[in-house]
Amino acid sequence: MNEATNVVLELLPHFEGYVYPNEATPQPLWSVLIVLYPYITGLVAGAFIMASLVRVFNVRALEPVYRLSLLTAFAFLLCAPLPLLFHLGQPQRSFQVMITPHLTSPMAIFGFVYAWYLMAVLLLELWFDYRRDFVEWSRRAGGWKGLLYRVLTVGVDDVSEASVDLDRRMGHLLSVVGIPSAFLLHGYVGFIFGSVKANPWWGNVLMPIIFILSAIVSGIALCVFNYQVLMWVRRRTTDIRCLDVMGMFLFYALVVDAGVEALDWIHRVYSAEEGFQMMHQMANEKLFYTLNLGQALLGTLVPALLLGALQLLRRHIPELARRRIYFASAVLILVGVLAMRWNVVIGGQLFSKSLRGVMSYKMEFAGMEGWFMGAFLFMLPFIVLTVLIRLFLPENPPGGKTDLPEAAPPARLASQPGAP
Amino acid sequence: MNRFLRLPPQILRLVLLALGIVGSYAVARHFLTPPSFGEYGFYRGAALGEVAARPAVLAGREACAECHADQVTQVAAFSHKGLSCEGCHGAGQVHADNPDVAMEKLHYSHCVRCHEANPARPKWHKQVVAKDHYPGDKCTECHVPHAPSEVP
Repeated sequence: MNEATNVVLELLPHFEGYVYPNEATPQPLWSVLIVLYPYITGLVAGAFIMASLVRVFNVRALEPVYRLSLLTAFAFLLCAPLPLLFHLGQPQRSFQVMITPHLTSPMAIFGFVYAWYLMAVLLLELWFDYRRDFVEWSRRAGGWKGLLYRVLTVGVDDVSEASVDLDRRMGHLLSVVGIPSAFLLHGYVGFIFGSVKANPWWGNVLMPIIFILSAIVSGIALCVFNYQVLMWVRRRTTDIRCLDVMGMFLFYALVVDAGVEALDWIHRVYSAEEGFQMMHQMANEKLFYTLNLGQALLGTLVPALLLGALQLLRRHIPELARRRIYFASAVLILVGVLAMRWNVVIGGQLFSKSLRGVMSYKMEFAGMEGWFMGAFLFMLPFIVLTVLIRLFLPENPPGGKTDLPEAAPPARLASQPGAP
Repeated sequence: MNRFLRLPPQILRLVLLALGIVGSYAVARHFLTPPSFGEYGFYRGAALGEVAARPAVLAGREACAECHADQVTQVAAFSHKGLSCEGCHGAGQVHADNPDVAMEKLHYSHCVRCHEANPARPKWHKQVVAKDHYPGDKCTECHVPHAPSEVP
């Protein structure tokens, strides 16, 4: 009997009210891995925007984190499609996406957007930025590292003034192209959700904009986090001027993001279309903790107050306290944006299309799409980033010239036309 | 050609590298695309033949009626008449080919798959909360699936 009862319990999902038979599945179709996909993609776009503040907008105070942000974007971009791949299963078939590319499916087009961003923007920008260093390091480093740097020079060892100047101009051009590309990358993720018109939680024209803005916020927060952790690991002090400027951009990006999201909610509440009753129920019951506490309070309000207070009272607050406040705000924002992705992806699947019933989601621990896999896929970009930092942002680069983030060559910007 | 060679060296290398990548992609695509891909639509045309060639696992009601005519006639008089035999009894082609191979044994879960209480089901459909309804695991102690309105 026990056995039979277990079968029944496993067979029947948990739900309340009226749900359609095809919605009565034990788990939502899109699990926590699909939460991670827009989260990681957003971090990429945000980190790239952060880097382009230096390149395109000449924010010289952010120079120490320029390369770190680019490498962060790169590490996270490499891992961005993995949650999708693991969720779909059959990873051995993934190459077929490339062999027989589909041209009208929205999800397939993401492949093109991704490939463009990785191959035509990020890799090229990194390469032009690093080319002179690759040439120099390949001459001085030995062993496999020297070989790696030599391969990365692609056989070009011209580091004359004119050649390096061309690299700089190409990097600038790629950054200019990169900003709309980063918007496209994450705006597209928002579009995929926003275009599901049957789902009142998703089908919304503001969705791509909300996704981009929250991506910028989370990306800057990730750079603040990574920079402080890296400096802590290396037992060096962070450049407080850089942190102040990052904090300022983080604050304003957060305000704009919160403003647009609030606008979205005000619109939903005031227009109170047919799905509104259900959304109200979701916000008060199913998503109470992740939406109200995670996203709104801890992820937006608290960091906005902390960072806003620093904008006004910066001079009166000692540096150490500022560093800690920036760190705490960054962590809170990262958690808040993760909660936002959860609310969008899981929230949109927890209510019936009948708008008369709710389903539930209980994450498994060790399964293909459980806690463990989610945590692993989120840690993976950090592991990749650690390797990248060891190779390309070394504490003691070959040849002895310090190339710490703090001491990134200011000459590059000083020689840039239009630099103040 | 001269002009091309006068490109700055790093750009020239990148152009060559890009051509190399695109070229190897074109070669890989040429060899890896299944020959019948796109014949009828966005899938392998040969897949249709391969699927059709797979051995059938379901025999169909007529095959059951060849030996079990009594049961087929009996069930046709009751509300289970719309169900296929193999819906409850499992796929039967192997058994139809060789009656010595026994059919899958029926389980409790075959009944509750349809009759466990579920608000998504229409009201006219008979539903029970199985574990409250009867503590045993043999529905057939009281019910006759081939004649569900009859009580033994």
